Amino acid sequence: MEIKLNPLTRVEGEGRVIVSIKDGKVNDVFLNIFEPPRFFEGILVGKNYDVAPDITARICGICPIAYQMSSVQAFESAFGIDIPKEIEDLRRLFYYGEWIQSHTLHIFFLHLPDFFNLPSIFEVNKINPEIVKIAFNLKRFSSKLIEIIGGRVSHPVTAAVGGFYKTPEENNLKEILKDINLVLEDTVKAIDYVSRLNFPDYSIENVLFVSLKDGDNYPILKGDIYSSDGLTIKKEEFLEYFNEYEVPHSTAKFSVKKDGKHYIVGPIARFNNTFDKLLPLVRETAKKYSITPPIYNPYRSILIRLIEILDCLYRSKSLIENYRRIDKATVDFEVKAGVGVGVSEAPRGILWHRYVISETGRILEANIIPPTSQNQYIMESDVKRKLLEVKEDEIRERVLEAEKSIRNYDPCISCATHFLKVDKLYLNNR
Amino acid sequence: MKIGVFKFSSCDGCQLAFFDIAPEIINSEYIEISYFLEATSFNIYDRFDVAFVEGSISTREEEERIKDIRDRSKIVVAIGACAVSGGIQSARNFGNFEEIYSFTYRENYFKDINPLSKPISDFVSVDYTVRGCPVNAEEIIEIITSLLLNKTPHINESPVCIECKRKSIPCLLVMGSPCLGPITVDGCGALCPSLNRGCYGCFGPIKGANFESLRDLFKERGFNFEELIKTGFNAYNPYFRGVIWR
Ligand code: SF4
Ligand code: SF4
Ligand code: SF4
Repeated sequence: MEIKLNPLTRVEGEGRVIVSIKDGKVNDVFLNIFEPPRFFEGILVGKNYDVAPDITARICGICPIAYQMSSVQAFESAFGIDIPKEIEDLRRLFYYGEWIQSHTLHIFFLHLPDFFNLPSIFEVNKINPEIVKIAFNLKRFSSKLIEIIGGRVSHPVTAAVGGFYKTPEENNLKEILKDINLVLEDTVKAIDYVSRLNFPDYSIENVLFVSLKDGDNYPILKGDIYSSDGLTIKKEEFLEYFNEYEVPHSTAKFSVKKDGKHYIVGPIARFNNTFDKLLPLVRETAKKYSITPPIYNPYRSILIRLIEILDCLYRSKSLIENYRRIDKATVDFEVKAGVGVGVSEAPRGILWHRYVISETGRILEANIIPPTSQNQYIMESDVKRKLLEVKEDEIRERVLEAEKSIRNYDPCISCATHFLKVDKLYLNNR
Repeated sequence: MKIGVFKFSSCDGCQLAFFDIAPEIINSEYIEISYFLEATSFNIYDRFDVAFVEGSISTREEEERIKDIRDRSKIVVAIGACAVSGGIQSARNFGNFEEIYSFTYRENYFKDINPLSKPISDFVSVDYTVRGCPVNAEEIIEIITSLLLNKTPHINESPVCIECKRKSIPCLLVMGSPCLGPITVDGCGALCPSLNRGCYGCFGPIKGANFESLRDLFKERGFNFEELIKTGFNAYNPYFRGVIWR
């Protein structure tokens, strides 16, 4: 017998847990994604390359900049375009804005209520308006940063292959420096507060951490793909070492290293792999609150996100201080036939794009691998650990815990969907 | 006022407007968010004074669900290009569905997916529409406050060009870039032209706009009008159907 539990809440997109019952106990569990696919790879075929950044941005309203950055990089690499440091710095700053925005949304609006067993931030506000105020401050600050560079917060409009349609005026950008110390203080307050919450005892086992490595930078905009078993590969080699596979009991595709090892991407992976690339000041703060690698407890990912926000804020501060506007916002280039791969660290982990392009710049093939599909395995296996063997009459109460373990990974189901199989069972019971 | 926020085929970008206005919601004693899966774990699916609907209708299950929401709600507001026009996913409406499908998936698991992605107004009556991909959060506030005050919300219907002129932005169309501003509803404050880029139509067409004349102008300049509309997130908007797509 199968029981479909209520739709997941406080996650991006539509999914639920389905359990199968045998002899009064749960004998199998899976994650059911019922978000309808939107066929992005199919839609892109035949389109001119220059619309891909804006089209792929619409895969996800929470991390559109990640999509724009991975896709412009793919075309730039196909056309052999070198991006000058000034533009790269501005892109980083833009992307920091998105990390702060997206992490803030997850930490405070989606994740934090779990630590109080409350349904939403609205109830958290009743017991602790201070922390909610911090959330709003961070949200407002990151919105401003993104708006100044991209024109608007969700689906900004300035990113282009070769650079930007327009770069921001110096004084507009520098103006937000006056708010940055406040949000820096706020973030440290939040770290202090959140680190004293109760974290359930739990640890993920037998998974690799996969993230980008980009010289001395904490990875965000680009890099080689690194796996914690020691493998480092170029972005173009991704599909040689990692692939998607299907399992009979589940409706979702999974991603796995070809040697059979499972892996996760996202804040935990980045933190464990590249803690030493955080700014020294940020590392000090992390150590002070005993947030040090390796972290295997996914509930503590909320702290890692806060640490990443702190790092983004300090780096944004110095990028803004050093910002000099360049008039020429895009590099000149020639369109040519070829294959281009782009990869960056979306807030939730590695986001990989690959395009085959005709000599006139038409897209012949598109392939996009978002972070959430790569984290499918671990989310499902955590839910399994929580629910297997549970007695039928206890499922409803235990599933709340299972839901929390999914939220630890900040799944973005809209992103994952074009990649996942949709289950047919959802029709009659929603 | 009992509010429900619902999602259909979409990217979640329009619902985010409710997080932007969360400070206002938290402080208002008149607003009760009774259903909003992305924001809360406590949801009551009962009757709604206002249902805000994001996303297009692209499966049979969604067809049923939007009708049910309509039945439960005094007022239905379509938010964003997906709900109002079918969204970027309606780009598939102009191609061969099987082919587009096979570019994305190897196997044929999605039996319930409709070949066409459609706006919600194809299935139910809609009281108000908020344009944009994504919407402008201020228009959501305008709807909520107007309904609370029992007045008709003021939603802009004039073209992007007007705002462009007001801001004295040099016209990109005149300078040689394609721009859909003349036929697109302004709600963004002429955002793209102000950033040195032609409007790609994310707020969607104006009712009764002179599409033909802009098409001719595009042709004259060597721009592909239809292609730009088809990547413009509102290609399947009812105002385009029957006029641009015959
Ligand atoms: S209209 Fe645009 S921003 Fe809104 S849900 Fe659809 S794709 Fe996302
Ligand atoms: S730039 Fe576009 S929106 Fe502005 S006036 Fe010219 S055509 Fe109209
Ligand atoms: S100018 Fe056009 S494309 Fe740009 S935000 Fe406004 S409506 Fe959307």
